[in-house]
Amino acid sequence: MTILEAVVVDKITKIYGALVALDNVSLRVRKGEVFSLLGPNGAGKTTLVEILECLRTPTSGEAYVMGHSIRDPAGVKRIKEVIGVLPQDFNAVDELTVLENITLVASAKHVKSDVRPIMEELGLWEVRKRLFSKLSGGMKRRVGIAMALVGDPELVFLDEPTTGLDPQARRETWRFIRNLRRGGKTVVLTTHYMEEAERLSDRVAFIVKGRIALEGGVTELVSRFGGGYVVTIEADDEMLLRVSEGGYAIEKQSAGRAQVRIGGWAEMVKLYTLLQSHGFDGVIEVKPASLESIFLSLVGARISETGDLV
Amino acid sequence: MRALTTLVNMLFRSWHRSWTAVFFGILFPVMLLLVFGSIFGAPSTPNYSLYVRNLDINEHGKASQLSAAFVEILNNSVFEVILLSPDETPRQTAFAPLRILTIPKGFTSQLINRTIQTRIDIMIDTSLRFVEMSGGEIGPEERENITRGLSRLRAFRESIAAENVKLVLEGSPDDPTLQPLAGVIHTLASRFEMALLNATNSIDLETVTTVKRQLRAVDYYLPGYIAAFVMTNGVIGVSGVVSDFRRRGLVKLLATTPLSKTTWITALIISQTLVSMILLTVMLAMGWIVFRISALPDLYSLIIILVGTVSYTSLGVLIGSVLKEPGAVSALSNAVAFPLMFLSGAFWPLEIMPELMQQIARLTPLYYFHTALRQTLIAGLPSEAIIPSAVMATMTVVVFSLAYYISKWKDF
Repeated sequence: MTILEAVVVDKITKIYGALVALDNVSLRVRKGEVFSLLGPNGAGKTTLVEILECLRTPTSGEAYVMGHSIRDPAGVKRIKEVIGVLPQDFNAVDELTVLENITLVASAKHVKSDVRPIMEELGLWEVRKRLFSKLSGGMKRRVGIAMALVGDPELVFLDEPTTGLDPQARRETWRFIRNLRRGGKTVVLTTHYMEEAERLSDRVAFIVKGRIALEGGVTELVSRFGGGYVVTIEADDEMLLRVSEGGYAIEKQSAGRAQVRIGGWAEMVKLYTLLQSHGFDGVIEVKPASLESIFLSLVGARISETGDLV
Repeated sequence: MRALTTLVNMLFRSWHRSWTAVFFGILFPVMLLLVFGSIFGAPSTPNYSLYVRNLDINEHGKASQLSAAFVEILNNSVFEVILLSPDETPRQTAFAPLRILTIPKGFTSQLINRTIQTRIDIMIDTSLRFVEMSGGEIGPEERENITRGLSRLRAFRESIAAENVKLVLEGSPDDPTLQPLAGVIHTLASRFEMALLNATNSIDLETVTTVKRQLRAVDYYLPGYIAAFVMTNGVIGVSGVVSDFRRRGLVKLLATTPLSKTTWITALIISQTLVSMILLTVMLAMGWIVFRISALPDLYSLIIILVGTVSYTSLGVLIGSVLKEPGAVSALSNAVAFPLMFLSGAFWPLEIMPELMQQIARLTPLYYFHTALRQTLIAGLPSEAIIPSAVMATMTVVVFSLAYYISKWKDF
């Protein structure tokens, strides 16, 4: 582990009875970056971050957080002093005010400094006397983020921070996460939203069925997997067969829908000409290659809005 | 230390802002004390209803003078007399037992005849004793006259047709008061008969009021309810808090901070101790204001409440930690608390429960809690609280240890 690394995961395996939740997982998170663990529900994302948060004991393997071993009691004590956590599906105490909830966690973290700056940064100071139960969903999530950030932690774990939020609240949360990165914090984010990971992360790791399927920088991965564009064609099976016969690799086909990867606009024109020659009158959609298309190529399935593989 | 005080403060604030918690933790036991203390605790004379069917009436349906006088005597005693017409049968409309006393036809004539017979018996007996005691002072002729006179009296007595008056008391075999009340009626009938004979009582009964106040029902309920609701606040309330904190991810969040499991459990116990002290204060205040129970808790009583709070808070922590589903936590905590409340004798005196239920009550831990509290708080007999306190302390050590070691701060 180097001083530039915030997290090192070395061959971590976690087994629950007959279920292998994590299978020999290794990865590294650099200091000051936003690192996303991307995967569907049940892939093992939360299990992995909870091991790093010292909430779970791995069956085998080792991990270091900010240079401290998660297996060493003294290390665990030190880790707990430098991390901030937003658990999955988190909700604060309904009967306490915003300020009281944040003060509760601040005292648990032995934070002596004022909580006001972080509350002002997240726009919570004005509503500090309001009961948590009276807040909107987006404001509640902000309180959760404030509780994770209180005490100025070096490393922040955000487990599915935008799940269940409306688009506006989600964008606000993204803004806070970007600000964290700008402030030099290391952020480990778990999400099943590809767009979220792509917009916020420096690096990502796809985790599927307890294994790291792919790890790397977002732009690096897109170019490694061919870059270019992804064309989604909605047509009948016969038309898709013609496309296939034309030398294009169809990456995904389901109920009259297929995706074709192309290198550039010249190739796009060629493909369109082929479709026209076979009387195509359907819909095509062209997008630059993205994490979603890479995930599709790797796993052969998408992740739905609710986090399930489809 | 700051973390502990803040956590206690926040737990207590979240408790007092929850109407449900305050209602079931404080207001509900106060309501029970007021309701049951008023129903069963007022020191009034018991009044027993008695239906009287008087068949000793004339052709106009008017009761004879003696039978009416006897009914009046009954009505001035412990009974609340309700008169029935000869062919009327009362209907059972309430849970009060039905008792019917029938005064037979000919009550007056039979009673008068029997009274005359009794007077003659007394007269003969007295005359014989007088003759026997006078010895030689009475001459043979006078003795002969007396004997002749007594013979005439006997003959007159025999000429009077008289049988004992037979009153009939009907009642349910399930009514435990039937036999004692039959005894009361019998005594009143005897005194009525004595009055007809112009006899005076030879035995007087003096009732002396002792200085020591008799324990009332409310004296039983007060420590019983305090113990029962310290228990429910711990078992149902704390398990609910732990379960809710877990469901919200708060326990996970706290476990990722330097806060220890010991601090978390200690904070729960301290906040519950505050709740118990409020409960104690409110209950004692209501007891004093409404029922004039002047029970001031001594140090021993406070220690008993503290031990009870630790014990049942630990049980709540245990239940809230072991089960994951909030519904299951609620079901189990209720399944523990309610049988404890009703079987332990906290809600009603053990003496009125059947023997089997008394045995079961002595097997419940709550029995020892309310018994110890009653002995110290109400009876002022701390020595009687030693064994129950020892049982409580043992239970507390066991439950606290289980709660501490079984509740998780990792690998949830």
